[in-house]
Amino acid sequence: MAATFVVTLREGFEAALLLGIVYTCLEKLSARQHYRWVTLGGALGLAASVLMGVAVSLLSGPLLDLGPDLLGVVVIFTAVALLTWHGWWMRRHAAALRGDVERRVREAHLTRRLWAVGLIAFTGVFREGAETVLFLWGLVAQAATGVATWSGLAGGVLGLATAAALGVAVFHGGRRLRLPTFFAVTSAVLLLVAAGLVATGVGRLQGLGVLPETVAVWDTSAVLDDTSMLGGFARGLVGYRARPTAAEVTGYAIYVLGAGALFFRRPASGRSP
Amino acid sequence: MSRALAADVPEIALTIEQNRFQPDEIRVKAGTPFVLVITNRDPGPEEFDSKPLRIEKVIPAGKTVRLRMPALKPGVYSFVGEYHEKTAQGRIVTE
Repeated sequence: MAATFVVTLREGFEAALLLGIVYTCLEKLSARQHYRWVTLGGALGLAASVLMGVAVSLLSGPLLDLGPDLLGVVVIFTAVALLTWHGWWMRRHAAALRGDVERRVREAHLTRRLWAVGLIAFTGVFREGAETVLFLWGLVAQAATGVATWSGLAGGVLGLATAAALGVAVFHGGRRLRLPTFFAVTSAVLLLVAAGLVATGVGRLQGLGVLPETVAVWDTSAVLDDTSMLGGFARGLVGYRARPTAAEVTGYAIYVLGAGALFFRRPASGRSP
Repeated sequence: MSRALAADVPEIALTIEQNRFQPDEIRVKAGTPFVLVITNRDPGPEEFDSKPLRIEKVIPAGKTVRLRMPALKPGVYSFVGEYHEKTAQGRIVTE
């Protein structure tokens, strides 16, 4: 039970974190009416995960050999692009909040593009969603055929529920922060989550042989193994790796520097048009 | 990708049964790409997961997946079945 708990908690944590942050952002910007985009995106992500789980079970041949991997890489880099957009958008919005008149104009202008937060919810859920669906499905199959007990499934469901509870905690904690603090913390968290995704994407491309293999730069698996529960949190939150390759570290660093400038640099004039 | 289609890429069979890999140690020549042909004989899906190789691949129940492996430097690369990490463990040794 403990083993399956850790697996689903690890898989669900990143999605819960992103959903918690995106809901809080909307709440902070008095844009609750846009919650539905996030809810819709999350629900579609879940539906797509189930469909993908079914598809993977039905596919065979080259489609099964390569299809899910390529889709996985596309989803990862799409999520990175969306999170980058979100960080940039928050910075602009935070700047807009300085003046009240300006704020209302800006809000009307900016909220038109809020459907994109729904996409963040979608990719957040879909990224590890299909795997989680297959995992739970396998637990059901094994329990039903008597190969395993139902407690494994209970652990898996409990792990997902715990991940969801963490997302709710992020939402309630984030709501209490003052607006500038919230923007700063959120930008920093999203920057590191996205940088971690870049490292994951680069690693996948190396695994697929698209990028050449590079040596592991360091090995801290004895201190914090990234498959453990704590290591899994660190992996989802700041992109921690116990044995990162040179290419992953490079991708991570370039992203943090580039997107960091985009997220935190003050607008040149203080008020862009 | 063309290299995976070449006929001379060696294929190595790997079977998942009762949440274990058979064989649990694979020996290949370093610097040569190969194809892992993984068959899952269990009633539930399994995920071939190698952290050092950056590979995560779900193999549905009863299915066979062909996994193209890049040319590897000499070394030991561990892998697990992520859904049954306690029992499903193995390694690829390249020399």
